[in-house]
Amino acid sequence: MKRIEAIIKPYRLDDVKGALNRMGIKGMTIAEVKGYGRQRGHKEIYRGAEYVVDFIPKVKLELVVDAGNVDSVVACICGAANTNTIGDGKIFVLPLGDVVRVRTGEKGTEAI
Amino acid sequence: VDFDLRARRGALEKLWRQGLSGRALLEKQSSMVDEFLVECFAHCPGKEGIALIALGGYGRRELFPFSDIDLLLLHNGVSSEVLNGAAEAIFYPLWDSGLEVGHSVRTIDACLADADADFFFQVAFLDSRFLAGDRKNFESLQHAFSKQYIDGNRKKFLATMKHHRLERHRRFGMHTYLLEPHLKESRGGLRDIQAILWTAWVVFGLRELSTMEDAGLLSSEEHNKFAEAWEQLIKIRNRLHYISGRKNEQLFFEHQEEMAKAFGYKNEKGMLAVEHFMHDVHNALQTVAVTADLFFEHVDEVLGMPPVEHVQIADHRLDKEIEVRLGRVLLLAPHALTAKPQLLMRLFWHAAVLGLPVHHRTRKYIQANLSLIDNRFRSSKRVSKMFLEILQQDGAADALAVMLETGVLAAYIPEFGALESLAQHDVYHINTVDRHLIQAVAEIHRLKEEERHIFQMIASPHILFLATLLHDIGKGFGQGHAQRGAKLVRDVGKRLGLSEKEIDCLSFLVEQHLFLIHTALRRDLEDDSLIVRCARQIKDPDRLNILYLLTIADARATGPTVWNDWKAALVLELYLKIAHLLERSDLKKPAREQGQAAVEWMYDQVREELDAEIPFSSELLPAEYIVSFAPSEVSRHLRLHNTMDKNDLLLEVHEEAGHWAILLMSTDRSGLLAKICGVLALHNLRILSAQIFTWQDGTAVDVINVVSAVNVGYQEQDWRALKNALWLAVNNRLALDYRLHKKLAHLIGRKRQNASKLPTRVEIDNASSESCSIVEIYALERIGLLYDVTRVLSDLGMNIQQAKIGSQADQIVDVFYVQDQDGKKIEDAEYQEELRKALFHVVTHESREREDIVV
Repeated sequence: MKRIEAIIKPYRLDDVKGALNRMGIKGMTIAEVKGYGRQRGHKEIYRGAEYVVDFIPKVKLELVVDAGNVDSVVACICGAANTNTIGDGKIFVLPLGDVVRVRTGEKGTEAI
Repeated sequence: VDFDLRARRGALEKLWRQGLSGRALLEKQSSMVDEFLVECFAHCPGKEGIALIALGGYGRRELFPFSDIDLLLLHNGVSSEVLNGAAEAIFYPLWDSGLEVGHSVRTIDACLADADADFFFQVAFLDSRFLAGDRKNFESLQHAFSKQYIDGNRKKFLATMKHHRLERHRRFGMHTYLLEPHLKESRGGLRDIQAILWTAWVVFGLRELSTMEDAGLLSSEEHNKFAEAWEQLIKIRNRLHYISGRKNEQLFFEHQEEMAKAFGYKNEKGMLAVEHFMHDVHNALQTVAVTADLFFEHVDEVLGMPPVEHVQIADHRLDKEIEVRLGRVLLLAPHALTAKPQLLMRLFWHAAVLGLPVHHRTRKYIQANLSLIDNRFRSSKRVSKMFLEILQQDGAADALAVMLETGVLAAYIPEFGALESLAQHDVYHINTVDRHLIQAVAEIHRLKEEERHIFQMIASPHILFLATLLHDIGKGFGQGHAQRGAKLVRDVGKRLGLSEKEIDCLSFLVEQHLFLIHTALRRDLEDDSLIVRCARQIKDPDRLNILYLLTIADARATGPTVWNDWKAALVLELYLKIAHLLERSDLKKPAREQGQAAVEWMYDQVREELDAEIPFSSELLPAEYIVSFAPSEVSRHLRLHNTMDKNDLLLEVHEEAGHWAILLMSTDRSGLLAKICGVLALHNLRILSAQIFTWQDGTAVDVINVVSAVNVGYQEQDWRALKNALWLAVNNRLALDYRLHKKLAHLIGRKRQNASKLPTRVEIDNASSESCSIVEIYALERIGLLYDVTRVLSDLGMNIQQAKIGSQADQIVDVFYVQDQDGKKIEDAEYQEELRKALFHVVTHESREREDIVV
């Protein structure tokens, strides 16, 4: 099992969610996050007032998948989140110890 | 004990299911527990000198299904052995029955000392009731208590009671329109009813609502309404206890639907059953809250107490008919309203300006005379002027809340009536619609400080406030509230005597109040064509500013989870992008008040910055130029300009986040932009955006943001060669066309995926700008494209006033503001067609030709 964390552009969320649903991914956790990467923040000036944007709003998706599905899930997110511009995001794949479903106590793949 | 309390309570629940409810249930349960305790007491081994007393809610015989049973074992100093025996005989069986018990064992002296230290014990004692045992003991305690805590103690009691009431409201919500109200502690909850009854008892010696009515504290109508609300709250709390299976006083979201169904509410009139139910709950809470407010103000007045929460303000006359008394706005001669109904609005105007509450008698009077607000009142210019001024006062939200509670708001704006206590059954909204709208007005007042810069730019703040108050006016009839609201506010605007233009703006704002937040969250903000479409839709910077503040206020007033930094950053980004574009499109509008003020302000800022170091006349710098940069930037340009000779070409480059910014200054000449674009393309620089300006003296100031098309770093880029090439090009010593062609022949082009789905379009728009034609080009990105395009424009004698170059993925959106040689728009149809064809040719034909070369 692996945990996949993807940072994407907010407006791509619906597309990514739809693409993942179509390939049978049933659940994910979503968070509104802010940060910066190579894109960094920027400064805007409007009528003499300065607006500093230090961190850029992104959406973070977290999901857990069977190790065998990692590649296809990553490819799916990549495809749906890609706009071929700076700031499209990153995907992290992490090892995962175990999963337990609270209601039933099921463990491992069963609990995904 | 052969009394099975558990079974009896089970039987009681059965009776409840069969319809026994309200106060009858409370009394039945109280009697049941009474019987049980009397029997327990009978089993005490020793009872000499002991009395069993019921306190609090149980003392009042208001025992809810899972309420605590508060008991006092009062004694006159008997041995601990006897006491232990009694406690065992009484409390143990009670615990075993599963009820929560609050118990104490005290002597009379201990009771009095404890009541002194603990106000809650004191009021619990007000409800004490003798159950069994030594009645003399109880009577002497009552006597001592009344002497110590009631006689001559009224003012202190009232002050403490009011203090606790306010604290409670602070903790559980200052108004009654919470979506998960606490039936006991919320404003308007059962505790407020108790506060009235305790105070009436201590201050006036009155114990019943009917005696309060007889004494003139309540009108018979108020009495009925209040009693009805009370009974309703009791029924709801009974049910809440049973369905929660425990002592739960908060009407949680998850229970509301079930409760609504059980009480027989139905989905109808475009509202869910649960929304009808919560509407009634809020109305009941509101009735109690308002009755309690008026009651406490009355008591204040009787005892000559100042309102606690307000700064002391001396009584004084405001108008002939209105004065400040005890820190409240009071109408002196109520009957004067009949002759001069506009006094009613005048009164709220004073309240809003001074930030003071309206006197309770005045409120009652207004409430009873709403018929004074007739058609004539609603369409009076004078009244409307006062109303719009009220909205703009710092005290607006409080004044509006009183107008809402007294029914004035719904009478004045009948469209508001449909919203009263309208709940929205979802997890976002914590307020009902009417409260949400007033809260939104309060949020605008907060933004007045926080976003001072934007607020000051708004030309018609009264439209901002009115739009905020009315933005959800179309709610309550199902889908499409914004469109419905946009229609409704036209009537409101007409009655308020707004101009046709103001009404259009108001209607637009109501219709589009979700536009910014929806676009910011769901659309690609880096798509320049989207920003162009947004700017087209909004049209006017003033509208945009209002819409921006309205968006923030609306979200903040909706609930604590709705607005956060994350959304704020997205909405700000969208706002700034549209603002920049709108700025550019309406620059040439002469002397628009707001625009002009901003321009003047910028001139002053720049003068301050330069501190007479370089004198310049305002005519030198065009308005559209000066509002596009920060004062420090403009000053820098002026300093650089000062060091330049006539034929100099100045090039400055620095690295910024994600791109490089090029500043180029030189004497303007025909085809300058085309040459710059050509040279940049030769040097593998891709243009992200460009701002092109020409000063009055013919100095061209271009700020161009670029990135490397071949991924070299800032340090590796050969800036000296670039400057050299530029110098050659503007002096007509570089054959750009030839060089570009040669370069591109060797370039391995990028693979063009999705090429077919991107449409190529050239549009000429003469409507959006007053002085320029706007040429928009949507095309496939390729190196040298901008050079080709700008050269066509130059060949056709176009004067490029401004350019906005944007690219996204493989597509570019270029927007040029152009004039012909005489500084006019391109109006001639043939000339337009020629331009369109020429541009279409270069963006399509040349790309195909070059692709052929690549292949």
